[in-house]
Amino acid sequence: MSKVGAVIRREFVERVRSRWFWISAILLPVLFAMIFLLPMMFMGSGGARRIAVVDGTTTDLGTRVTAALAAGGTFAATRVARHSGVIDSLTRQTATKAIDGLLIVDDSLVVTGSAEYRGTNVSSLRDMQELERTLGVLVIATRLEQAGVDSRVLARAELPLRLTTRKISAAQTTGESSTESFSLAYLMGTILYTTILMYGVNVKSSVLEEKTTRIVEVLVSSVRPFTLLFGKVIGVGAVSLLQLLIWAVAGKLLLSERATLAAQLGADQGPALFEIPHVSAATGAVFAAYFLGGFFLYSAMFAAAGAMSSSEQEAQQAQQPIVLVLLVSFVSLFVLIGDPSSTFAIVLSLVPFTSPIAMPVRWAAGDLPLTDLAVSLGLLVIGVVGTTWIAARIYRVGILMTGKRPNIKELVRWVRAS
Amino acid sequence: MRAAPLERVAGRAQVTTRNGATLTPRSVVELQGITKRFAGHTAVDNLSLVVPKGVIYGLLGPNGAGKTTTIRIILSILLADSGRVHLFGETGNGRDQTARIGYLPEERGLYRKMRVLDVLVFLARMKGVERPTARLRAEQWLERFGLAPWRMRRIDELSKGMQQKVQFISTLLHEPELVVLDEPFAGLDPVNAQALKDTVLELRQRGATVLFSTHIMEQAEKLCDQLCIIARGRKLVDGSLSDIKRPASGQHLAISFDGSAGNAAALFCDPRMVKRVDDYGQFAELELVPGADPQDLLRALVQSGARLSRFQLVEPSLHKIFVDLVGNGGSDNV
Repeated sequence: MSKVGAVIRREFVERVRSRWFWISAILLPVLFAMIFLLPMMFMGSGGARRIAVVDGTTTDLGTRVTAALAAGGTFAATRVARHSGVIDSLTRQTATKAIDGLLIVDDSLVVTGSAEYRGTNVSSLRDMQELERTLGVLVIATRLEQAGVDSRVLARAELPLRLTTRKISAAQTTGESSTESFSLAYLMGTILYTTILMYGVNVKSSVLEEKTTRIVEVLVSSVRPFTLLFGKVIGVGAVSLLQLLIWAVAGKLLLSERATLAAQLGADQGPALFEIPHVSAATGAVFAAYFLGGFFLYSAMFAAAGAMSSSEQEAQQAQQPIVLVLLVSFVSLFVLIGDPSSTFAIVLSLVPFTSPIAMPVRWAAGDLPLTDLAVSLGLLVIGVVGTTWIAARIYRVGILMTGKRPNIKELVRWVRAS
Repeated sequence: MRAAPLERVAGRAQVTTRNGATLTPRSVVELQGITKRFAGHTAVDNLSLVVPKGVIYGLLGPNGAGKTTTIRIILSILLADSGRVHLFGETGNGRDQTARIGYLPEERGLYRKMRVLDVLVFLARMKGVERPTARLRAEQWLERFGLAPWRMRRIDELSKGMQQKVQFISTLLHEPELVVLDEPFAGLDPVNAQALKDTVLELRQRGATVLFSTHIMEQAEKLCDQLCIIARGRKLVDGSLSDIKRPASGQHLAISFDGSAGNAAALFCDPRMVKRVDDYGQFAELELVPGADPQDLLRALVQSGARLSRFQLVEPSLHKIFVDLVGNGGSDNV
């Protein structure tokens, strides 16, 4: 038993000691932080967009546009009467960043609904939406006024619409919005895919290193090949759990401290692009169960791929089918989130090779019958046991083989060998 | 250290185990009718041998003879298709007895990214040595081999020679009773080869048994107490060096020339005089036809103008016996 301990310890210590472990441990939270901090800093930089409203109207429409934009908060608008050369001079000012852009309005705004905006921020979806929305409301109001509608009726009609979304789970309305469900499902799918792939490849490299350096001969004269494989998978698995723990703690800190962080970086709090997903204990348990199942399933296969190869290039080829199978569930992520109860989603969440990613995503994206979960978990356990049995047999023979990679027929013989 | 009288008795006596197999007591390794087949060919064919305690035992054979397969079977790295392996006269295979066995594989290698000390401690842990003991012994061995300053360095920062030393330490760190070395001299420079030879002798001094494979006969001849020659997976001969040399009766001559060899080449071909010859130009080893007088050959050589520096009646060399036994078809490596 102490020998398994030694194998586990070696895999764990050597990996945690390596530079790559800490680079990936830090890189992901930093990336994550950038995803939600950068837009905030971006929006916050310089406060409101300074734009000039070039007023070519014969009514007070230009003044009203300027006022409405200024009231929105996104823009600091200044009205400029239209005269020859003003557009050119404002365009130059935009180029030198004295202002962010210019909006050209004339009487055709009310008639055809057309206006022109030139600026450096045209690619900002938020800015353009705000601009369109403000102008749209004004155009409708003006047209209605011209048609003789009472201004008080107008004021009430202008109330903006806010759609609140809440996910229904087990016939109960939860505190989870659709954005949260989406980001939770997406996040879980991505993390599962990345981690299973990354640490599966780790197991493969470890097997391959022992094989190519022939240390494996000394090792299997001391411990059973299965013990060695088991210790290896547990050791690498422990490293992956530590990695996930670091990410989870970092993620939680980033989300809870983001106001402070944003303030320190000189950014406005601003409206949240990402809503903090609500991770319940049940969700955590589902994630953990499928992560472990998926990791064991795939690392057994990766170990077999490493054992049947004699070089890194060969191993790359041998692992391709495995990566492809894993990829199937990853590329189906959007379909799974979009319709978690479709036949496709149900099949993916039951097959052991795809369920480690598909099932947690289905769980996060929508309500799920508990029977589905139970059947899927049962199949996963059977899949893990079966795959490990086959992989361990390939491993046992493969680690001592040199020369060309075996074909399917030879692999079958390896598995059958007593 | 060794109980000599007991060994003498034990060398002849046989005991019967529960399953009916007869074991030679005090044998460290005993193979009984081992056969191993791989797809398409038989690597080891009904091989039996006994390695007594405290000897240096050579497993000799050309490339592809089945030496490495035999060693792997002894160590439980491979399972034999049939036959029995007994180690230390006890039950339990090589893996069960691993704490008592040290193994140096033919192809060397260590974890490249690990620190020297960590590798040694890990491999000792695999042999069942407790961590603190392993650490202590590793430090001592590194000190002894002059590697102490490198103990915290990564393996891939070491020179090849240093890596070989580290691997050798890992073979001996758990103080094994049986040390198995697969082609230990391959790839060693003369200085390291000398050091290895000294260590092997020292191991025997300590009471350990050394089993090593080689295809270099000169080394085996100088080092081995007992040996076994195999080819194509079959045993050709085994026993002590003198046991093996005895059946090769007849007179053997070692002849060295000092410059001119006269018409030695022609004389060596005389079938009335010479039965077999192994001619290197400046040196020749030959077996005389029974009844032939070596003095006749000496006279003929001197008359032909050959300058001799050595003309000696000798035992046949192991190399010659090996070549005679194995023949040209014995090696798979053409």
